[in-house]
Amino acid sequence: MSLSELMKRGPLFLDGGMGSLLQAQGLMPGEAPETWNLTHPEKITAIHRAYYEAGSHLVMANTFGVHPMRYPIDECERMIRAAVNCVKAAREETEEKFIGLDVGPCGKLLKPLGTVDFEEAVGYYAQIVRMGVESGVDCIFIETMNDSQETRAALLAAKENCDLPVFVSNAYGADGKLMTGGTPESMAAMLEGLGADAIGVNCSLGPEALAPIVERYLAAASVPVLMKPNAGLPEVKDGKTVYSVMPDTFSEQIAALVPKGLRIMGGCCGTTPDYIRTLRQTVGSSVPPQIAPSAGTVIASRSRTVELGKDPVIIGERINPTGKKRLRQALQDGDMAYILNEAIVQEERGAEVLDVNVGTPGIDEAEMLCRAVEELQAITDLPLQLDTADPQAMERALRRYNGKAMINSVNGKQEVMDAVFPLVKKYGGALVALTLDEEGIPQTAEGRFAIAERILTEAEKYGIARKDILFDPLTMTVSADPSAARVTLDALRMIREKTGCGTVLGVSNVSFGLPAREVLGSIFLTMALHTGLSAAIMNPLSDAMTGAMISYRTLTERDANCGEYIRFADTLPAKTTAAAPAGTAKAAGAEGQPQGLRRAVVKGLCKEAGRLAREALEAGTGGLDLIQKEIIPALDEVGKGFEEKRIYLPQLMMSAEAAESAFKEVKARSIRTENQENRCRVVVATVKGDVHDIGKNIVKLLLENYGFEVTDLGKDVPPEEILAAVERLHAPVCGLSALMTTTVPAMAETVELIHEKAPWCRVMVGGAVLTEDFARELGADGYGKDAMASVRLAERFAEEGEEKP
Amino acid sequence: MHLVELGEIPFDEKEILRYAMMPSTATAPEELPLGECLAAARSAVRCRAVWQRYPLGWHEKELDLGFAKTASQNLRKHLEGCTEILLFACTAGGEIDRRINREKVLSPVRGLLMSAIGSQQVEGACDRLCEELEKEHPDHVLISRYSPGYGDLPLELQRDIIRALDCGRTIGITLTDSLLMQPSKSVTAVIGMKERKTV
Repeated sequence: MSLSELMKRGPLFLDGGMGSLLQAQGLMPGEAPETWNLTHPEKITAIHRAYYEAGSHLVMANTFGVHPMRYPIDECERMIRAAVNCVKAAREETEEKFIGLDVGPCGKLLKPLGTVDFEEAVGYYAQIVRMGVESGVDCIFIETMNDSQETRAALLAAKENCDLPVFVSNAYGADGKLMTGGTPESMAAMLEGLGADAIGVNCSLGPEALAPIVERYLAAASVPVLMKPNAGLPEVKDGKTVYSVMPDTFSEQIAALVPKGLRIMGGCCGTTPDYIRTLRQTVGSSVPPQIAPSAGTVIASRSRTVELGKDPVIIGERINPTGKKRLRQALQDGDMAYILNEAIVQEERGAEVLDVNVGTPGIDEAEMLCRAVEELQAITDLPLQLDTADPQAMERALRRYNGKAMINSVNGKQEVMDAVFPLVKKYGGALVALTLDEEGIPQTAEGRFAIAERILTEAEKYGIARKDILFDPLTMTVSADPSAARVTLDALRMIREKTGCGTVLGVSNVSFGLPAREVLGSIFLTMALHTGLSAAIMNPLSDAMTGAMISYRTLTERDANCGEYIRFADTLPAKTTAAAPAGTAKAAGAEGQPQGLRRAVVKGLCKEAGRLAREALEAGTGGLDLIQKEIIPALDEVGKGFEEKRIYLPQLMMSAEAAESAFKEVKARSIRTENQENRCRVVVATVKGDVHDIGKNIVKLLLENYGFEVTDLGKDVPPEEILAAVERLHAPVCGLSALMTTTVPAMAETVELIHEKAPWCRVMVGGAVLTEDFARELGADGYGKDAMASVRLAERFAEEGEEKP
Repeated sequence: MHLVELGEIPFDEKEILRYAMMPSTATAPEELPLGECLAAARSAVRCRAVWQRYPLGWHEKELDLGFAKTASQNLRKHLEGCTEILLFACTAGGEIDRRINREKVLSPVRGLLMSAIGSQQVEGACDRLCEELEKEHPDHVLISRYSPGYGDLPLELQRDIIRALDCGRTIGITLTDSLLMQPSKSVTAVIGMKERKTV
């Protein structure tokens, strides 16, 4: 039987531990096992032989620790070739005896939490895979991965560089999660989407503790499931590491999972050929039942899955620049904070999936979508719906997306299907298909249904599962055509009933051009839900829309004790707006100045500062007056207190935030102030290699308070990128932050580069490891010992202009 | 190698504010969103540690820590009279980093507070671990923990520690090229062991 046949039928027996056996032969603690491929090949071969003799079908070459981030590339190549030769030497016959390339983690964390770039990681794994293939392995075995994004990098590299079967095994904690939060369900969704041939678990725990995790895999997976437990937990006895579970128990606990569907099994740390021999005997002739492919439409983030088609789902629509000036501006400025904020606000209002569309004139959409995906996934674990008409942007975002995405969208146009289906096949995802084609949008439900059928037929050619396709029968505007809503709902019903596929609608469009849009929109949503809609692309910040969705759930037995409804009701604004303290607004009007604003800013009362500013403006106070007579003096008072150590950082920041909410009111009235014109531009960044940005964020906030126009490049920013921004904006001031001695050289490099290429720009530096003297040594123009000092410096630089003293 | 789950570490608000650069003598601003941040942090923190005992070798120019050698004079002084060491790494986990990133987006002060909470939690976890280690080694006096970056003990030692404790695999700590630990709320340290003289 071929390896593919054997793994599909099961049971397929793997090998067991290597490290502990080598230590028994003299490998020193801390010595890398892979080096023995070159220095002690005969000992490595002997272990492989013992596993084949014990009954392993598939033995892994000793390549787990080989990685281009650890060894020079030619050494990697020599070690891999030697390792595979060791297995070949141990294999006396080839009938049902296979060799796996063992691929392990790189030992560093990928972005966004770490610093290793995803494509860089893919590149390294691609090299390893090609070396293994050239050496003659039969499959790629990716294991002990505890980060989903790195797992994806390795799997993608394997799929792109060979046609061999790829096994993927992750290391779970006792809580049933990966170190970076992945669950059996989220991993199954993402790994199957990427085309893994078998998935499962190894290491960290013994068979008993791993069993519930394996059972979750068996329930979620449509591909063979594998398991390689440790021999229990390690204990140190008399200075030696021993494992608690003996071969008999080990084997019984694994064998019990075979009738439940486990097909591929072996051992990890602490197991020996004895374990594998006993395991094979215990499993005997039992064969696992056929795999029943899971039927649900599941999408996933790194750590969370959402099933479409069961309970209706809210897809937040707000990250889409169409008709949103502020968002368009944010995208053009590369201001991620604005987009991230939109994500969190929608999540807090009940969104379960976020649509991400960044298409804006004047930006590189592929680059921006990829970046937005990465940064959004650093702060939210909601699954994303990637929304772009540009196949290149879609591919880059799909590569980067950590999970199984919703793909918005494809339609019945041949050209579009030709571009998008291969991406779905390669990266996985749940596809939203619009029922329109070259002829446009059919006027009838039957016409839209016919397109849906054509799309399904075409998708089948690519082997895209039916469960991974959802249809959007298109919401049209009822003010333009009275039958618009009916046709959409008829098409929705027809598609639901005849294809069994899930459905999605962007509901807002129904009310376009009409007043009180939310009233109409929320009723249309209710009708669509009643017709069987699986997910609505909508604005979760609209109480009417979200209210309709939650009410529907409550009315259809999906909300035990009406709990969700009651929680939602609690968030609704009270009927009568809270009465403002009597007289405040009037007094403000009479005096021309609000009494309380200055105090509110000093005290750091965010909401009150915003309210008082609004009232003063409504009462006729000029925006400029408000800023110069109230906000700035308040900030100065707090700043002075901070400098004199009477006021501490959290208070300073609270005041800055209160001031910001007052500024927002001024801006909201589009009042041009002197402050907004001719503002001095400042570029701020945390330097390359450093990811500490709290200090930098504080400086940014304060600078903005003091009227600077701040461009924030984020953290871990290479010198060239900082220079590029300084040049593009012709910024007279640049602020750099570094918190570690190890990243100060990157700071020095950046200062030097800016001074050389952008001599008009003055660089101020700050961060825990710096001092005034150190900053001078670096060549910086100034040292900001804290946020206030940075503001003072920037003010001085701005005043002096390009004339350096 | 010993793996320890450290359970729920109590929040210490005074300590958290100290990490947020606010001395205990000062009054917290009335609208400081500490309560909300604490509520959000609870489910995001998971403290784990891994430790290992090593013999300590005293050589003329350097100390042999069992997993690496160092010429640090400050550590030499700190470990005076010790015969062995306990090496540990402890982390509050990756979720709290995500939570910090998220709060930063909402507001800088929330980011500051969430980061301070993470620091207090991992330090609290280290304290709890040290208590447990003392119980487990009744025949020894354990002296206070000492981390790379203190005094003249080089940060480069992190590489050896992370490797020795197989931190990537055991508790998920990795190092960046600039020797930053990921997750960021992580601590590594050496604890000296003196034999308790039985009377």
